[in-house]
Amino acid sequence: MKKRTILKDTVFTMLILCIAFVVSLVIMQTFDLYTTIPAIFTLAVFLISRYTESYVYGVIGSLVGMFAVNFAFTFPYFKFNFIIVENLVSAIVMLIISIMTSVLTTELKRQERIRVETEKEKMRANLLRAISHDLRTPLTTIYGSSSAMVENAKDLSKEQMVELAAGISQDSQWLIGMVENLLSVTKIDSGDMKLIKTPVVLEELIDSVLVRFKKRYPKQEVQIEIPDEFINIPMDAVLMTQVIVNMLENAVQHAVGMETLILRVSTEGENAIFEIIDDGCGIPKEKMDRIFTGYFETGNLPADNQKRNMGIGLSVCASIIKAHEGDIIVENLKEGGCCFRFTLKMEEMLDEQ
Amino acid sequence: MNSNKYKVLIIEDEGNIRHFVKTILATNGYQVVEAKTAAEGKMAFMSHSPDAVILDLGLPDGDGMDFLRLIRLDFSTPIIVLSARTDEKDKVAALDAGANDYITKPFGTAELQARVRAALRIHQQNMNRSLGGNKNFQVGDLIIDYDTRHVLIKGEDIKLTQTEYNIVALLAAHAGKVMTYSEIIKEIWKWSDAGSVKKLQVNMANIRKKMGIRPGDNQYIINELGVGYRMNVDME
Repeated sequence: MKKRTILKDTVFTMLILCIAFVVSLVIMQTFDLYTTIPAIFTLAVFLISRYTESYVYGVIGSLVGMFAVNFAFTFPYFKFNFIIVENLVSAIVMLIISIMTSVLTTELKRQERIRVETEKEKMRANLLRAISHDLRTPLTTIYGSSSAMVENAKDLSKEQMVELAAGISQDSQWLIGMVENLLSVTKIDSGDMKLIKTPVVLEELIDSVLVRFKKRYPKQEVQIEIPDEFINIPMDAVLMTQVIVNMLENAVQHAVGMETLILRVSTEGENAIFEIIDDGCGIPKEKMDRIFTGYFETGNLPADNQKRNMGIGLSVCASIIKAHEGDIIVENLKEGGCCFRFTLKMEEMLDEQ
Repeated sequence: MNSNKYKVLIIEDEGNIRHFVKTILATNGYQVVEAKTAAEGKMAFMSHSPDAVILDLGLPDGDGMDFLRLIRLDFSTPIIVLSARTDEKDKVAALDAGANDYITKPFGTAELQARVRAALRIHQQNMNRSLGGNKNFQVGDLIIDYDTRHVLIKGEDIKLTQTEYNIVALLAAHAGKVMTYSEIIKEIWKWSDAGSVKKLQVNMANIRKKMGIRPGDNQYIINELGVGYRMNVDME
């Protein structure tokens, strides 16, 4: 990676300098204009600084340019001469201008990078704040209930004990889901997006999804529609299972009045299309735009509301799918309810069958 | 409180986890031996000779994997590994080093009990088999007749190819244990190449189709995505 950019930048620098040299030669031969030539080399240095990674190339470019101008395009032609005062001065001026341009453009690029980094940092801080806020509610239950059990063990009836423990169990399960999501986000966000994709059989993926989903929502039927043929999709299986479970869960929690929940997979060209369809209440327009990025908003909602999980779950889905180079959209259906749809690239069918 | 005479060794440095695992197992009649470090674990293993071991991989005085390899040199005692959710890689490594099963933290009572039961049962079955009884394998409605090489579900004969039968029989022979892709491939084809996992997956797809297994309703062969397959022994 690093080596490659060095090679690329070196080639680019040499190419630009060669072009500048040829253009200067042509101008000198045809129009006899010597005064424009330093300007052409300055432009070359500017271009080099703008499009290479390090300021080193710009400085080298300006040095080469200065010598080239002195050597080829000032009297005596095709001979170095720094004794004539005019040549010396113009060479130094050109060198200074080129170096300053180079340093300036590099500085500009650095600032841009810092800006992007700060933006990311801000998003991360927002996410963290939203989550810490969300974590408080279940932690309150767990801490409160368990300390009640420890301190008042004698006075509590068996039923009360079980009730408190059930609350603890329920809220810990919610916490587990949240931590899974956080782990996934950090896995993706940790810079290079190095997902380890292994080919996963569609049927096995759907099976694992359903096993996990049924554990939490044993009563919710899911209608499965998948193609008969053998489909293999390269993916991070743990993350993708989580995406689909998150989406099904999201439907159960937010699609008010839902009667059927469909998980459908179809193929189109080299893509597998996953659809999670419900016939619930649909998604209000004002939430639609930010549905995949809206986790910042949860901070303003009351923490004890049932919908706390929504923003984070869906934004995690979106970033996982993006990391798989897939697309995700959501739309309200005419007949009511909504459809989440995402695509993933299938493995090319190479040999055997 | 019923007693079942099995002895389980827990090696885990985290006191709270150790305590609740112990409580769950003890209330279900197991005898429980505890160890906080790998060194303590080795001693406890030698002096108590437990029927099963629950092993945390991150121990303060050394990698749980070392303990695993050491024990596997001389013993076939079932070992269940506790792992924090990281990558499939760790799970595969532990299974390939001889662990019988893994449980991902955090886990619940039901899951823990099921895994311990399964590990003990397989061990028991293997001991019986090595004593001469080459009995049929049975779980739920599934019967494998080792003598005639037939697989039956609800009494109905499932027509499998040689390879498919071999895969099912292999999983059944190690029922309850996760068999990694590479373990299965090594056993079935003896050699492996870039297309081996896919070949195995295609065979499994055919087996599922012939057995009439629907996604989400998978009673017999459990998918461990990215890791391998497991024959279920704990039908509810």
